[in-house]
Amino acid sequence: MRAVRRAAPLLLILPSLLLALAVIGYPLYEMIRLSLADVSRFGQIRGYVGLANFARVFADPVFLSALLRTLEWTIAVVGGTVLVATPTALILHQNFWGRSLARTLVMLPWAISLSMAAIVWLWAFDGDHGMVNASLRSLGLMSGNVQWMARAETAFPVEIGVGILVSVPFSVTILLGGLSSIPGDIYEAASIDGASRLQAFRFLTLPLLRSFINIAIVLNVIYVFNSFPIIWVMTQGGPDNSTHILVTYLYELAFRLGRPGPAAAVSLVMLAIVFSFTMIYVRLQAREQSA
Amino acid sequence: MTRSSAWVAAAAAVATMFGVAARAETVHVTAAYYSDKTGPYFDKIAQEFHAANPGIDIKVDVVNWDSLLQKLQTDISGGTNPDISIIGTRWLLDFVKDDQAEPLDGYMDQAFKDRFIGTFLAPAQIGGKTYGLPIAASARALYFNKDLFAQAGISAPPATWDEVQQDAAKLKAKGIAGFGLQGKAIETDVYWYYALWTYGGDVVGKDGHAAFAGDAGVKALTMYKSMIDKGLTEDGPTNYTREDLQNLFKQGRVAMVITAPFLINQIAAEAPKLNYGIAPVPKETTSATYAVTDSVVLFKNSKVKKAAWKFLDFLFTKQPRIDFTKGEGFLPTTKAEAEDTYFTTNERLQTFVKLLPSAHFAPTVTGWEDTAKAVSDAVQSVYVGKAEPAPALKQAAGIADQALGK
Repeated sequence: MRAVRRAAPLLLILPSLLLALAVIGYPLYEMIRLSLADVSRFGQIRGYVGLANFARVFADPVFLSALLRTLEWTIAVVGGTVLVATPTALILHQNFWGRSLARTLVMLPWAISLSMAAIVWLWAFDGDHGMVNASLRSLGLMSGNVQWMARAETAFPVEIGVGILVSVPFSVTILLGGLSSIPGDIYEAASIDGASRLQAFRFLTLPLLRSFINIAIVLNVIYVFNSFPIIWVMTQGGPDNSTHILVTYLYELAFRLGRPGPAAAVSLVMLAIVFSFTMIYVRLQAREQSA
Repeated sequence: MTRSSAWVAAAAAVATMFGVAARAETVHVTAAYYSDKTGPYFDKIAQEFHAANPGIDIKVDVVNWDSLLQKLQTDISGGTNPDISIIGTRWLLDFVKDDQAEPLDGYMDQAFKDRFIGTFLAPAQIGGKTYGLPIAASARALYFNKDLFAQAGISAPPATWDEVQQDAAKLKAKGIAGFGLQGKAIETDVYWYYALWTYGGDVVGKDGHAAFAGDAGVKALTMYKSMIDKGLTEDGPTNYTREDLQNLFKQGRVAMVITAPFLINQIAAEAPKLNYGIAPVPKETTSATYAVTDSVVLFKNSKVKKAAWKFLDFLFTKQPRIDFTKGEGFLPTTKAEAEDTYFTTNERLQTFVKLLPSAHFAPTVTGWEDTAKAVSDAVQSVYVGKAEPAPALKQAAGIADQALGK
């Protein structure tokens, strides 16, 4: 009887658990199958080749440099996003005239699809007619035009900047939610105790906001790590593969070069990376809670 | 209309609907989006065909070039592919190897084969069988801006690469970007093949090995790189796709660009005042151009092959061909349309047609896409100054050989 009672919750969630397993499991199964096979462009399996697809991918210098660049990309975009979003959220949390307008403006980029945003920025950074070059010229900061997208040294930082910009609204939303959950009276208490505003920020706001910042980091890492449109629209991973991240490399492999097998292998590697990151995060969370 | 007559009409409409539905076959066609004229053209052809063959419905899907192969790939994997599709002829081998394309020889009689200009039918023949019909064909030539040339005191288009450099230097002195060089996205490799071929080189040799890293290749790439270094091209070629270059040319901001005949129609629509001429691709030792065909293929798993063939038969008759080729600005692929005065009296198009005997087609070999990618990467690395021509090409040849299975 007791055993049944204990199993009851499990039984109750069983249908949705099974559904979730099917939805997640089937594509994963397909992916693993493809990654072990010699697959034609049109998905015909010509035979199983063991780990040859993985070996081939790991032997590709473009893959290795894309892997490193993905890390740079993720760290730079997520780090930049948090650095921009935190002060933005703090400001938007204050009471000031026109706050709702400011909030709307900050949120607005979220309403634009990533590809559209990337296209607009590509135009803005156009070497000949772009608004960025025009502004820099009229400010007298430079005389000629900069061909931003012609080299990785300029193109990749621009892409990171766009990545930060489009990730900010989402992070600000999370942080604003966090800020509104902090009760106001602790600040009153702190100011009575003589805490300066900086101290109040360091010892009250930041610790209380920390779990929200963590959420923002984790979700952003997952999004940004897999973010395809910005780089694909702006440089397609070029010139000479110098702006590829894993997901653009994967796309090129699967659809340009028509090799679903190695592409499946790459996506499994990506899955493993994101998964291990999530695991680290879960561990950190658990440690924090027990501490 | 009275109520009873409305009922009769409705009943009649329902009856015809069912009547047709019982007999009708539907042929699904995927067409590539060439321009805003493509959709209306196929709609019109489908209607005309349906009027003559009421038992057959033609459903046309127009798909963007960039996503066409991906769409077909997904459709085929899921078994929901169309009956007929336009594809890039260079993709054909993959379709044939996977047994997706139906050999068309059984459907064609000699008279049908004779409709085509032989050069254009050949690229879609693999192992002695014809798998595709050439729906679109183009070649490449040098567009030059006559006004900019006049400003720099140049009277005739350059015939050799030396002359290109001299002219570009004169244009540069006037502050004009001389030679448009493509360095971004699809066909970056092709833009360099123009030089490679005219220096007497080739992409893939007769033995099936990568041949582009030879002497001709190194010379051609060194020549392009020196032009970039001397400022004889537009600034930052790796920032310019083929479309970007064409746009620069339309705006009169670059004096020379090598591209396909369809730019003629674009200029007529977007920059009608542009004063330009068309000349053969500049040469070094040999004359050359790149020719491309797109093919219509019939899928092996189609259940309405007869009806589909009937549509193809109609598509390749004189008037539909003329409408298509004129509208999109391609070269004629059938003899009947080539005889039309629109083409015979069109000097600009004739420049392209005359280049055809020296045209190179993309070979139908496994690994062509990989070779194109390896070459594009190599020339880009040279254009941005990351690598020297000889080692960059040698490395690309290694990658290409692997992909070519050598």
